[in-house]
Amino acid sequence: MMNSMNNIIKQIDDVLTITNSEIITNRQFAIDINSGDVHQSLAYLKSIGFTQLSILTCIDLIANNEFQLIYILNNWELGLFVIVRTIIPRDNPAFVTIINIFPGAKYYEREVHEFFGVTFEGNDSYSKPLLLEIWDDIPPLRKDFDPQVYSDSKFPKRDLDKIYRSKIGGVD
Amino acid sequence: MTVMNFVYGFIVLLAAFIFQTALTGVNRKVTARIQKRYGPRWYQQFLDIFKALRKGSITHGWVFDFGVIMALGGIMATVIFIPVAGFEAFPNMDNVFVISYLLAVGMLGMAMSAAGSGNPWASIGVSRALTNMVAYDVPLMIVIFTLIFAFDTASVSEIAAMQQGMGVLGWNAVRMPLGGIVAFIALFGMLGKKPFDSFIAPAEIASGPMVEYGGKHLGFMFILHELMTFIEVSLILSLFFGGGSSILVYAIKYAILYTLVNIISQVMPRFKIDQAVKFFYRVPLVFAIIQGLVVIFLGWGVSVWF
Amino acid sequence: MVLENQDNRNLWEKIGDFFSANSIWMKWYCTGCGAIELPPTMTSRFDMERLGMGPMATPRQADVLLITGYLSSKTLRRVIYSYEQMQDPKYIVAFGSCTINGGIYYDSYATINQLDKYIPVDLYIAGCMPRPEGIMNAFADLITMIKKGQANGWRHYQENYEWYKQNQLDSLKEVIIHDEFHE
Repeated sequence: MMNSMNNIIKQIDDVLTITNSEIITNRQFAIDINSGDVHQSLAYLKSIGFTQLSILTCIDLIANNEFQLIYILNNWELGLFVIVRTIIPRDNPAFVTIINIFPGAKYYEREVHEFFGVTFEGNDSYSKPLLLEIWDDIPPLRKDFDPQVYSDSKFPKRDLDKIYRSKIGGVD
Repeated sequence: MTVMNFVYGFIVLLAAFIFQTALTGVNRKVTARIQKRYGPRWYQQFLDIFKALRKGSITHGWVFDFGVIMALGGIMATVIFIPVAGFEAFPNMDNVFVISYLLAVGMLGMAMSAAGSGNPWASIGVSRALTNMVAYDVPLMIVIFTLIFAFDTASVSEIAAMQQGMGVLGWNAVRMPLGGIVAFIALFGMLGKKPFDSFIAPAEIASGPMVEYGGKHLGFMFILHELMTFIEVSLILSLFFGGGSSILVYAIKYAILYTLVNIISQVMPRFKIDQAVKFFYRVPLVFAIIQGLVVIFLGWGVSVWF
Repeated sequence: MVLENQDNRNLWEKIGDFFSANSIWMKWYCTGCGAIELPPTMTSRFDMERLGMGPMATPRQADVLLITGYLSSKTLRRVIYSYEQMQDPKYIVAFGSCTINGGIYYDSYATINQLDKYIPVDLYIAGCMPRPEGIMNAFADLITMIKKGQANGWRHYQENYEWYKQNQLDSLKEVIIHDEFHE
């Protein structure tokens, strides 16, 4: 397994411009790619057998003022997952859709837009609400969004006489 | 036709409702015991019906309301023509055709009302119920026509009376075994018991025709269902299992027949509606036709048994 | 909110409450992990049909609505729809700490914290989640409450409809559902 994975990584490395690659488990490896190369990389990965887009999601790297987009592709023949990571700026985050490579990404892009505010050029429906209804604040999975403040302002709390807290590992 | 006929009719109606509702309650207990549960109280079905009648109710237009009244009226009218152990509220009017036509009024009222609710599940349920009816009716009607041909009468009480006096051997189900099998299978379809309950399938189409009923409407539908069960079981009992020489014998035979159907249905899975139609048009239809040919051309099982 | 306790029912209402108490049809809204506690409560181990209770297919047919776990603001809209479709008298039983005070997601951006601000809850079952024994115990309590005429949440909802609606609008902005499947 490890050999075939190394071969695949080498094969990918020859064709694509990879800034960094990392082996995570014996069935999973990650590659970092410049945002400009994402589409041709995904198209190439699809052509060599990574035919399924398992998920498209996003990570808020607020310290670097960046978003990291994550595409996880699955190869059913070899049982391998590849994690394609790319960095986009956090201010006015915008990216280009991949629905012409993986049509199912339509809904993932809607979700990423809803929870992180990333816009996807070329996907007509990216701005439609998917999970949240009538949302009126900054996208909720950004790190500068405070759910406690939002929850306090929206959802009334019960008045409790005493609040019991459990001790975890001896620390109160 | 005097006032007393109507009084008798009302008594039949009331007795049928009380007897069948109690029997349904007992059968819920039987079902529970099959599933290794303790089960509800035997009078639970009465509590359910009166609870439903007590609740509030909303309407979905006059078709919805009128359909319920029409269905209940049609079914009540049918019940008073059913002969019970030779006792008839309206003598000499217990013709098979009268009963089946009056029963259709009730069925159509129910279909109209359910479709009037405007819920798509109700429409699907109604279409399945009517398809199911077409499926079991064809073999059953062939067998009933065979009986009418064999005995030269369409009166339910006369056909029942002709089977008495010889014990079990006199029953049409024994004299014409294929016809008996068809009638017994058709009873499952008539009662909507598994495996032919695809039109109420609660987890699939949210109880089908009943989906929009709540409160009083639902209570009426439950009463209707009990009375319809009484009609269907009585019809099969009188035509194929010898009716009863006295009310007590009739009640015992009725209870055994209904409980047997319930027990068998509890261990069955559910047919899809197209599977049900295919089943009825394959096995029971062939049996019914063979039975008809045997009776018409060979005369077996009509007058001579031994 | 304290529901009134004095018994001013007339004879017919008492008889009606006797039937209601002994025949409870339920509809459960499977929002969280509580729904998985109900199949053992229904089947042969605990057998709730002994109490005259049974599942029903639609809210119109049901008497009691079981809220079995977390409610996000999105599902709360559907719960309000379902509750308002039910016929009087109707009751609500809420399961678990999540409906009482938000449970472990008390600070989520999407999870409501206190259910009885939005719809009248007749009975809470504490626990995370309550086991079938707890659920059976709660149903026995509910039956006693209905018999004594104390389960008046539905009447309270009618009398204080503006208060409930205002709370719903404060948290949800709009109760009417707009999504791809309702347009």
